[in-house]
Amino acid sequence: MSSVGRWAELVVGPFRSSWRAGVGWTIAFVLIVLSTVAFWPAFKGSTALAAAFQALPKGMIEAFGLQDFASPAGYLRGGLYELIVPLMFAAAGVLFANSATAAEEDAGRLELFLAQPVTRRAFLTARTLAISCWLGVLAIVVLASQLASDAAFDLEIADDRIISTIVLCALLGQFYAGLAIALAGVLGRPGLVLSVGLGLALVGYLVAALFPLSDVLAPWRQISPWAWALGGDPLVNAAEPWRYAALAGPALVLALVGIAAFERRDVRSA
Amino acid sequence: MSVSSALGAGPDGELPALQISGLVKDYGRVHAVQGIDLEVRRGEVFGFLGPNGAGKTTTIRCILDLLRPTAGRIEVLGLDPRRDGVAVRARIAYVPGELRLPERQTGRQLVGSIARLRGGLDASRARELAERLGLDLSRRMRELSSGNRRKVALLLAFLSNAELLVLDEPTNGLDPLMQHEFLRLVREEREAGRTIFLSSHVLSEVQRAADRVAVLRAGRIVASGTVDELRGRARQRVDVWFSNKPPTEELAALPGLEAQLVEGRHFAALLSGPIQPLLEILARNPVVSMLVEEPDLEEAFLDLYQAAS
Repeated sequence: MSSVGRWAELVVGPFRSSWRAGVGWTIAFVLIVLSTVAFWPAFKGSTALAAAFQALPKGMIEAFGLQDFASPAGYLRGGLYELIVPLMFAAAGVLFANSATAAEEDAGRLELFLAQPVTRRAFLTARTLAISCWLGVLAIVVLASQLASDAAFDLEIADDRIISTIVLCALLGQFYAGLAIALAGVLGRPGLVLSVGLGLALVGYLVAALFPLSDVLAPWRQISPWAWALGGDPLVNAAEPWRYAALAGPALVLALVGIAAFERRDVRSA
Repeated sequence: MSVSSALGAGPDGELPALQISGLVKDYGRVHAVQGIDLEVRRGEVFGFLGPNGAGKTTTIRCILDLLRPTAGRIEVLGLDPRRDGVAVRARIAYVPGELRLPERQTGRQLVGSIARLRGGLDASRARELAERLGLDLSRRMRELSSGNRRKVALLLAFLSNAELLVLDEPTNGLDPLMQHEFLRLVREEREAGRTIFLSSHVLSEVQRAADRVAVLRAGRIVASGTVDELRGRARQRVDVWFSNKPPTEELAALPGLEAQLVEGRHFAALLSGPIQPLLEILARNPVVSMLVEEPDLEEAFLDLYQAAS
């Protein structure tokens, strides 16, 4: 059999064990998008809500993306794309990466596959591709759900703004998946991959959301990948190209670090 | 077609199947393997014996490049597993001791998956092996007993047509009938010219299958040789019934003879080394009867362990 067949097996193999998780994430994304957009008609043009938010501190409004909540972009930002959707993408990235790498290694299930005529580099590269594919599928699911529910509930927003925002959220997920692959490649311990990966995803959000509340910390907001992804308010403004590169580049580098480390260390047994 | 050409041995056909020199593997302060040297010839069944924790699995995982040795050199079919890992693993089939298989896959799916990674599948041979092992390939791994999971791994190994089969505790969980079938398969593979590296703590299994044996203890090889050689090193139990009182003083002076019992005219002892000096003493004394028990490998094994410790 050609090396194409071997590569196909290496990439497709992880899908067999993760399709249930993929279906779960798909349902979760569809439900969260649909249920949020379904309430748009109630908030559309609401002046009472805008007045209620005016009573909150300005920093808090910005931290939770609640500014201009009665507009389509403001509603989607506050309801979905400031926290929930990017956090779900980050969590999905870490969880997919962990289950395809460190969790499998810790359970001793890599042993039989790594004893076959494949390199560790090819093995982990293929798994990285499979993880990226899942995040790509989820991005398409979110986009389709968003466009369908926008039409159904009369939420008017430019398609390119939506596409750009969802792509940035998915790339944020790729960044944290890359981080998880790096941790898995270096350590191979699922507990650490999950706790550090998910912990840093949450810290990234808090840095991006809360640092602007302090004059001292505000300039440091830019250390957060969340700020690179969503700092330019992509639902309102066209995202600069560097934002995509700032997420995709480190995601790739982190995955390569993980692959290089995995090639050099012992494979853990059950 | 000769066996070597059938197996694609080519110009390296004369090289040993496996050569290990000075292998050391440390895990921090734990010295799992402490300088192993061994050579496995082509076409033989090599028994790798030792109790749990002796370093057998660590050695095997170094052979497969799953572990990186702290020191030493390994050559598999003339190749370095680290540098030529893909080429080496294409010629090795492996049954892990700690067997963890994808829980949701059926046996058939797993066989297909491994076949795609190895570059092909002989479907009729897979069916034949499944039949011989009494294995239902349509069942998911999580539905299988540990013995049936072991059969899946054995099927994958025997299906591979690999030149070297590395089997780590391959009969764990198998019932006696299947153990017998396993030994038959091992013999067939050897007759086909393949080499089998059989790691086990089950002495009887190695005794029945292996041409040569290495005994590992605490990361070191404490003995190696053919099964007969190993058995020859074991102490034999000797019982002698004399017509009169046994010549205890003369017997006590005999090197290698350790008296166990002197009761009336009955003398019992353990003898290590050749029996000729004892026979010479007995020839000078009237003997009614004599019994020399054949030592089995288990006795040899335990003796080696006691000697090593």
